[in-house]
Amino acid sequence: MQIEQFLREVTFLLGLSGNEQEAARYVAKAFEPLCDEVHMTPLNSVVGYKKGTGNGPKVMFAAHIDEIGLNVTKIEEDGSLRMGSIGGVDPRILPGMRVRVHGRETLLGVVGAKPPHILTEEERKKNYKRDDLAVDLGMPAKKVKELVQVGDLIQLEHRFVELKNGRFTTKTADDRACVAILYEAMKLLQGRTHEADLFFVATSQEEIGANGAMTAAFAVDPDFGVALDVCHASTPDAPKEATSDLVGLDSAIGPFIQPVLRKKLMDVAAKENVVVQSSVSPGRTGTDADVMGITRAGIPMVLLSLPLKYMHTTVELFDMRTLEEGGRLIAAFSCAVKNTWEDELWT
Amino acid sequence: MDLKTLCELNGASGDEHAVRKAILTASRLVCDDVHIDRSGNVIAHKKGASKDSPRVALAAHMDEVGFIVVGHTEDGLLRFRPIGGIDPRVIVSKWVALGDVKGVIGAKAIHLQSPQDRETVLDYKGLYIDIGAKDKAEAERLCPIGTYAYFDVSFEPFGEGMVVSKALDDRVGCYNLLRILQNDYDCDLTVCFVTNEEVGLRGSAGAAFAAEADIAVILEGTSANDMGDIPERFKVCSVNQGVAVSFMDRASIADRKLFKEMLAIAKEQEIPHQVKQGITGGNDAASFQRAKKGCRTVVLSVPCRYIHSSSSVCSLNDVDAQYALLDAFLKSREVK
Repeated sequence: MQIEQFLREVTFLLGLSGNEQEAARYVAKAFEPLCDEVHMTPLNSVVGYKKGTGNGPKVMFAAHIDEIGLNVTKIEEDGSLRMGSIGGVDPRILPGMRVRVHGRETLLGVVGAKPPHILTEEERKKNYKRDDLAVDLGMPAKKVKELVQVGDLIQLEHRFVELKNGRFTTKTADDRACVAILYEAMKLLQGRTHEADLFFVATSQEEIGANGAMTAAFAVDPDFGVALDVCHASTPDAPKEATSDLVGLDSAIGPFIQPVLRKKLMDVAAKENVVVQSSVSPGRTGTDADVMGITRAGIPMVLLSLPLKYMHTTVELFDMRTLEEGGRLIAAFSCAVKNTWEDELWT
Repeated sequence: MDLKTLCELNGASGDEHAVRKAILTASRLVCDDVHIDRSGNVIAHKKGASKDSPRVALAAHMDEVGFIVVGHTEDGLLRFRPIGGIDPRVIVSKWVALGDVKGVIGAKAIHLQSPQDRETVLDYKGLYIDIGAKDKAEAERLCPIGTYAYFDVSFEPFGEGMVVSKALDDRVGCYNLLRILQNDYDCDLTVCFVTNEEVGLRGSAGAAFAAEADIAVILEGTSANDMGDIPERFKVCSVNQGVAVSFMDRASIADRKLFKEMLAIAKEQEIPHQVKQGITGGNDAASFQRAKKGCRTVVLSVPCRYIHSSSSVCSLNDVDAQYALLDAFLKSREVK
C-alpha cells in the first residue's frame, strides 16, 4: 500500500485517546506482513517486532496513534450535547464543525453557538469557550436520549485533502503521519539486513500523558528509543524560534535527548541526503520521548519530528515528501545501528 | 432542480454565474419568458389568465456569503475578506475552495497561543488561507486578488428530516420558486432570482423597479436561534415548526392584510407555520416595498440554525411548508 493511501485510511479511523482499538487494529494489520511479530498491549499500543541478524541492540521507535477529540458530558433539555475535551482541542475550531457522535449509532452533529447578533459588543470580541458551545443532532431530545449517553465519544470532522506542492491537510496527522513514517520504514527494510532488533510501536494515550509509550517501553525494554512526533511548522503568526520549516524533518537538541545518538541519526541523515533541521527543547519535548526516557532504568532517547502547520486542528498540514524522507531515514538508521552502539554513548 | 445541487453551487454576491446558469436552464424548461436583467437577476414571467388579476412578484436571492482574496503574504498565504456577514469565529480550521484550488483557513496552534490569543477573536486581518503555495509568486499566480473562496462542504442529511449545508440562505427560496414556476396560476407572475442580497439588497432594486408588482412575496432563509444557550426572548423562530411569516424586520414592514391573509390560509389549509418573533434581519422585501409607486410585501422564511456558516441547518418540512403556503396563496382569492 502506498503511504498516501495508508494515511488517508488511518486518519479517518476512530482512535481518541483511551479508545484506540479501531485505529490500532488497522495499524496492526498493516504492520503484520512487514515484520516478524505484531501484538497489541493492554492499553492498545501496537508493537511490530522485526528481528535483527545478531547481537545488535533493541531499538524502539514510537509514534502515537491516538487523536484528540471530545466526549459528551451532559445532554441538555433541548437535546443539545455539552462537550468535554480529550487532549487539547482548541475551542476556536469548533463553531460550525460537523462532528461524529459515537452513540448507539454514529450520528452527524453540528457544533452551534449563540449567533453574533444577540451578543453584546463585549462578548463579540471574545472567543467562544467550549462551555459556550453545544452539539446539535437535529432531532428531538427524547430521541437523542435514546441514542446517546454521557461519556460517548465525539470525533472531529475529517477530510483528507491534497493541496499544492505535495502538501496535504487532514485531521490527526498528529501523529498518524509519523505512524506512516514507521510504516514506510518497515516497507523499505524488506530484504535489507539490520543487526538491531527493531520494535515499531504505534503508541496509545499520548495526548493525555503518554501512558501508551510508558507501558509499551516497559514491555519492550529497549536499549534506546527514537520518538517520532510532529513539531510546529512556521506560519506568519507564530514565533520563529518555536517553529521549523515545513519542508524537511527536524530533530530536537536538549536535556531530554541523548546527544551521541542524536549525532548518529544526523550523520546517517547527512550520508543519505535527508534534510533534518535542528531545534532546541530546553526542557520537556511534549512527546513520548519524555516518559520513555525515565522508563525502567532509563532509556536514552532521540526525537525525530515532522513539521506540521495548524497542530490540533482538523486541517493539520504537512509535506508528503518530507514524510517519505522520514521513512527513508528511519530505515537507513535502523541498518546503521551496530552492536557497538553503547561504546561512545557518554564520551 | 434539487436542493442539494443548488446549495453545492458556489455563488457569493457578485459571483453568482454558476447559480444563475443553473437557474436559467431550469426556468426555461417550464417558462417561455425568461431573461437576465442588467443586475444579473434571472427574471421569469408568466402572464396572468385575466387582465384584471393583480401583478405578483416573487423573489429569492441567488447569492450567498463567501470570501474574496485581497492579498498574499511573502510565504504564499492568501489574505482575504468576507463577502457579506460571516462571523470570523466560525471559520477557523475550515476547508475552502477557490475554483479548482483547495485551501484551508489556518491559525496559530493552541500550543503557541498566549492567554490573550485564546481570548481574542481572530479578525480577518489576522486570518489567512493556505493553499500549499511555496511563495508569494505562486500564490499570486494561482489565486490572484479578487478570487472568490467558498466553504468546501457538502450538503448532507442530518438528524430527523433535517439537512446541513452552506448557502441554505437563500437557495431554499430559489428551490421553492423553481417549484412554483412549474405551476399555472391566474395572476400575472414575475419570478425574480436576484443577485447581491448579502451586500445590501442590491440586485432586487432593479428587479423590483422592472416588475411593477402590486404584491411581492419574498422567500428567505432566516436565522433560527432556537438551540443551545439562547435566552427565550431571542428565539425568533424554531426549526421544524413551520414556515415563518414576518410582520416586520429591520428593512421592511409587512403589509398587514397580506400578513393576516398568509396566517389565515396557513391555518385553514393546515400548513405548519409560525410568526417570526421579534424584529431582526432584513431582506429584498425592502426593495419591492419602495420600488416605483410602492408595493405591498410579505416575507415567508425557512428557519435556519447557524446561518452564514459552513454548516447551516434547516428542516425539509419547513422548506415544504414555505412552498405550500406560497402555492396556496397564489391560488387564493387575494390574487384573483
